[in-house]
Amino acid sequence: MSPDVHVLTGAYALNAVNELERVDFERHLAVCEACAEEVRELRDAAARLGRAAALAPPPGLKARVLADIGQVRQHPPTVAPLRLRRPPARWALRLSTAAAAVLLVISATLGVLLVREQQSGKERQEIVAILQANDARVVTGEVDNGGSATVVMSRSQNRAVVLTAGMGRLQPGQVYQAWMVVEDENNRDEIIRTKSAGLVAGSRLDIDVLGAANAFSITVEPEGGSARPNLERKVAYFRLT
Amino acid sequence: MQKPNVMRERVRRMPTQEGAGTAPNADALLQLVARGDEAAFARLYDILIGPVFGLVRRVLRDDTQCEEVVGEIMVALWQTAARYSPERGSAMTWALTLAHRRAVDRVRSAQSAVDREDRVVRGELSRRFDEVTEQVGMRREHDQVRRGLGALTDVQREAVMLAYYDGRTYREVGELLGTPPGTTKTGLRDGLIRLRDCWGATR
Repeated sequence: MSPDVHVLTGAYALNAVNELERVDFERHLAVCEACAEEVRELRDAAARLGRAAALAPPPGLKARVLADIGQVRQHPPTVAPLRLRRPPARWALRLSTAAAAVLLVISATLGVLLVREQQSGKERQEIVAILQANDARVVTGEVDNGGSATVVMSRSQNRAVVLTAGMGRLQPGQVYQAWMVVEDENNRDEIIRTKSAGLVAGSRLDIDVLGAANAFSITVEPEGGSARPNLERKVAYFRLT
Repeated sequence: MQKPNVMRERVRRMPTQEGAGTAPNADALLQLVARGDEAAFARLYDILIGPVFGLVRRVLRDDTQCEEVVGEIMVALWQTAARYSPERGSAMTWALTLAHRRAVDRVRSAQSAVDREDRVVRGELSRRFDEVTEQVGMRREHDQVRRGLGALTDVQREAVMLAYYDGRTYREVGELLGTPPGTTKTGLRDGLIRLRDCWGATR
């Protein structure tokens, strides 16, 4: 990262960065306490601008919100030891051995997919290249309306391939859209943070920048895809860590 | 250095109608909310809703969308309360950070972006603080904000306001103000640092 990366604290605190810059900068914040502290202070300053904009809210809103919170579950804290204690074998498989062995292990999970999608040699190479990384992982999750999604990823290579299978057919004018998610610790905001746009048509999607993504989601969106996920039509969500 | 300290103490002890004086209370309420306390949430809602609603309304400039987004934000605050830790900032800052982020996400989504370009053509840009709607009981808050913004250079002030109140990226801000991206980034940081230093004494 360039030496003047620290200058981005202001733009970041104001949400005046694009998604890629956000992901990059959050990786920097994770290792630069000076910048993290400055962001906290600058957010405080920004929030004061927000307070000055205060307006009387619409009268019916409170009753609706109070009714809504009765219907939704609260999330656990971001740093959740319970989550880490979950046996990793269930949905995450760490791969660190030679490629041949890796492919054997992987074929149990992906074999069907790889055959069904009839990938070209080049596409297969892409997956094998990721699997050969020391930090390669394969994470599979269920998709609500049937089927599954498998993320083959390497943080050191900063990329991933997503394979889907058996996903239900959608109504005309709708598409599946995949999202790489950063559950943001600085902001402690739960929602889908970062997208790596692209449509999952029921096959395969290359993700060129994995960034700080630590979760994966699929939503149903209008044809052409959306800039922001429609969380009411979320069909898959699982952690990548 | 003696004088500013004395002033700081006095400001802290001054009774306030809203804003700074309610902050510690909000922090404690948010920690109760994290344990599923719905009554605490109802009280926290009253403290946060004015600023959250005003800020989102300011960024979106659309009443229909605004109410929907603010509803989502308040529910998200309930859901994610356990992720708040008071040593990393006040509940108000935490809530407004989340709210601003949601509003900006919405305003940058496809259709909103188109609507917004129309407004740029019509010349509705957040360059002046006077545009921020005044509300009874907010005078002290407004005076402080106006004083802080007055301490910035013209370019810093316009950049900070376009970024925060209009939800612009620093590149868009640069295009609107005719400054290169690097200069814009630096200007946003310098401007916010100056505001931080100006307001630090009257938290």
